[in-house]
Amino acid sequence: MKAPASTFSKAPVKFRMPTADNLVPIRLDIEIDGQRFKDAFTWNPSDPDSEVAVFAKRTVKDLKLPPAFITQIASSIQSQLAEFRSFEGQDMYTGEKIVPIKLDLRVNHTLIKDQFLWDLNNFESDPEEFARTFCRDLGIEDPEVGPAVAFAIREQLFEVATQSVASARESRLSKKGRRGFEYVPASKAGGAVLDLVKLFGHKSSVVRKRKEWEVYEPIVDHLSNEEVDALEAREERNFRFNPNRSLLRAVLFRLPLLHILILRCKKSDGIITF
Amino acid sequence: METTTHDPTSKPDEPELDLYTIPSHSSWFLWDEIHETEKLALREFFDGSSFSRTPKIYKEYRDFIINKYREEPSRRLSFTDVRKSLVGDVSLLHKVFRFLDERGLINFSAPSGNNTSLVVVEDGEDRSRIKIEGVVPNAVRVGASPNSPKPISVPPNVVDNAVLNGFKFLPLASYSDVFGDLVKPKGLICGNCGGICDSGHYKYTKGEFIICINCFKNQNYGENRSMDEFKLNECAENKGSDGAIWTEAETLLLLESVLKHGDDWELVAQNVQTKSKVDCILKLIELPFGELVLGSAHKYGNYGGLNGSMNGTKQVQLSSSEHHEAIRLEGQCHEQINEMEENGDTVDQGHPSKRQRIASLSDAGSSLMKQVARISTMVGSQTTAAAAEAAVTALCDENSFPREIFDVEEDHISNGFSPPTASYEAERVFKNEESKTKEGLTQSETANTPHKRDDIPLTLQIRASIATALGAAAARAKLLAEQEDREVENLVAIIIETQMKKLHQKIKHFEDLELIMEKEYAEMEELKDCLLAERIGVLQKAINAGISRWRDHSVKS
Repeated sequence: MKAPASTFSKAPVKFRMPTADNLVPIRLDIEIDGQRFKDAFTWNPSDPDSEVAVFAKRTVKDLKLPPAFITQIASSIQSQLAEFRSFEGQDMYTGEKIVPIKLDLRVNHTLIKDQFLWDLNNFESDPEEFARTFCRDLGIEDPEVGPAVAFAIREQLFEVATQSVASARESRLSKKGRRGFEYVPASKAGGAVLDLVKLFGHKSSVVRKRKEWEVYEPIVDHLSNEEVDALEAREERNFRFNPNRSLLRAVLFRLPLLHILILRCKKSDGIITF
Repeated sequence: METTTHDPTSKPDEPELDLYTIPSHSSWFLWDEIHETEKLALREFFDGSSFSRTPKIYKEYRDFIINKYREEPSRRLSFTDVRKSLVGDVSLLHKVFRFLDERGLINFSAPSGNNTSLVVVEDGEDRSRIKIEGVVPNAVRVGASPNSPKPISVPPNVVDNAVLNGFKFLPLASYSDVFGDLVKPKGLICGNCGGICDSGHYKYTKGEFIICINCFKNQNYGENRSMDEFKLNECAENKGSDGAIWTEAETLLLLESVLKHGDDWELVAQNVQTKSKVDCILKLIELPFGELVLGSAHKYGNYGGLNGSMNGTKQVQLSSSEHHEAIRLEGQCHEQINEMEENGDTVDQGHPSKRQRIASLSDAGSSLMKQVARISTMVGSQTTAAAAEAAVTALCDENSFPREIFDVEEDHISNGFSPPTASYEAERVFKNEESKTKEGLTQSETANTPHKRDDIPLTLQIRASIATALGAAAARAKLLAEQEDREVENLVAIIIETQMKKLHQKIKHFEDLELIMEKEYAEMEELKDCLLAERIGVLQKAINAGISRWRDHSVKS
């Protein structure tokens, strides 16, 4: 049954963030002389690059960081923007693509675990709006949680988008005029892409089975100070132990949190801004 | 369902508030349809752009969210509550949710608690709306509250009705009461007055129905039932508890009153006081000499009254005890009587006719011949048998008299007193009349005693002749009865056979029918498969032609 995929297939989408605002998630994690700066925010790639340097300067000034940070911050942002731009202009994917997004993060004292589906073809989606609703519905007071949730969603979306660019390239190369190729590679490349026919077919109901509700239900936990301290100490140790920080971050960030004591590679001493 | 959907708009008491929070345009909403408003606001579901966005899916989202809200209208439904239960893009879900929320399809009567949250939307226009929303829900709640009970709360009336219908007599009873009343009197209840049959009851022989003694006396037999169809049953518990314990004083009192009043058990029971009528009867029967007492009572005075005053069921008992007391019957005579009794019990008319016979026989002692003549004219085995029985009984009652006569006259057969009197007399009669000797029961003895006939007094001869006639009649009746029995048996057998045949035929018919049904079913299955295959083919074609999303449209809207 690959027919539906072909039925709804449309022109390949050029690479962009699959959200309403084409904002790139930027994560900073810079350490100079024992001072560590961590931050995460979004950046509009269409802004002129001169803005990056201005932003870096301003940030360092506001946080009273050593001037050495300015270049580091600017270059980090630049490199991440460059990575994003390198995909631009390429075909991202064709046809339907709905991916599960898994949240598993800690912001200060709040621990969040959640799972939901995200349609990569819905360019009206708004992670920030979703995060706001999330915090409102769950009664989360901490103002940092919303942005963190939105950022986590964006980060995952970005990753999926880059992966699908790669797979689209592959599929284009291997394309021999076969019909229905669009759907198959997408599922291969995306890894977590869902079987849409199964979910949205005529036979199935979009109302989940009751036993599945728990899986897709957000879980919010409030940690005590001790727990937070323990977690942070653990993070710090691992951070220092492993030289390949970016890899570590990449791996750890996607590790599902099984227990409070499992390390989270996200520190809350940085400022999170939008 | 349709009625509950319009609750927001049905209360337009405050127009300026209503305009915003429970928008009047939510009245377009219908469960079965998707309105233009929805199509405009959520276009992506209707432009066929995506496999995961079809009208069908939209309708499922919408219905689920609205239903979810209506589960608890007073609570504000949040998007997070909903999304865990729905498969699909959260952004899209959020859009649907927001749409429903804004259009007043959900959360319209929820408390205003979370309304401020909408402030997040940084829009001057929206902000003004929020202010109004903050006020409105109260007014709305007042207005909407009559509708707030969900459909589920309606059924109680229905349930009540059902209960009322089920237990008409206890309209206001709770469940426990109802069952308590039904369970409690597990003993015997009179089918007429509902009272408990402590002392005993009459059982309806043709089904599960009993009435208490009082009702029986008052002739409240219930519809379509006659007196003859009831049999007296004494309470087993009574026998076990009250009935078993008889003090000596009570027994004495009983004996005294029985001697005094004979079988008038009402009086006897009144005398004994502490025991009921049934208890008295039972006790007397249990007593080793009880029958004697009763019998003497008969003899001494109440003989005539006995027959007149007794009612049906008791009479059986009494007359049988009478027999036991008065005569020591054995052999065929006894058999006959027993048989008569049985006939009398089983056939409805038995009791009345028998009583009549007995009465007329006993009080009109003079014209015996007349009676015999009358008896002989009787047709029908049933009446003849009853008459014969009565006559024999009467004769046996006066056993001592013929016995004395025989004592005097028949010295050589003085040893034969023990033989049954009935046959004895019958044999006498044979000597006298030498009439129709159909029965072979006394053939041997007739040969022994022909020379003695003159010695026997006339009265005795008459009596004997009567007895013979009766005996003959009885025998004939028995024969007739037997013949009839056989005939009945035969007929019943034929009936059963016919019924069986009919049944077999029916079974065969049903088997045939089943076979046909099976065949038809198989055919249907085949047809179904065929249709399915055809449909799949059509679908395949349609899909290949790329028109399957149109089908979606037509199905849902």
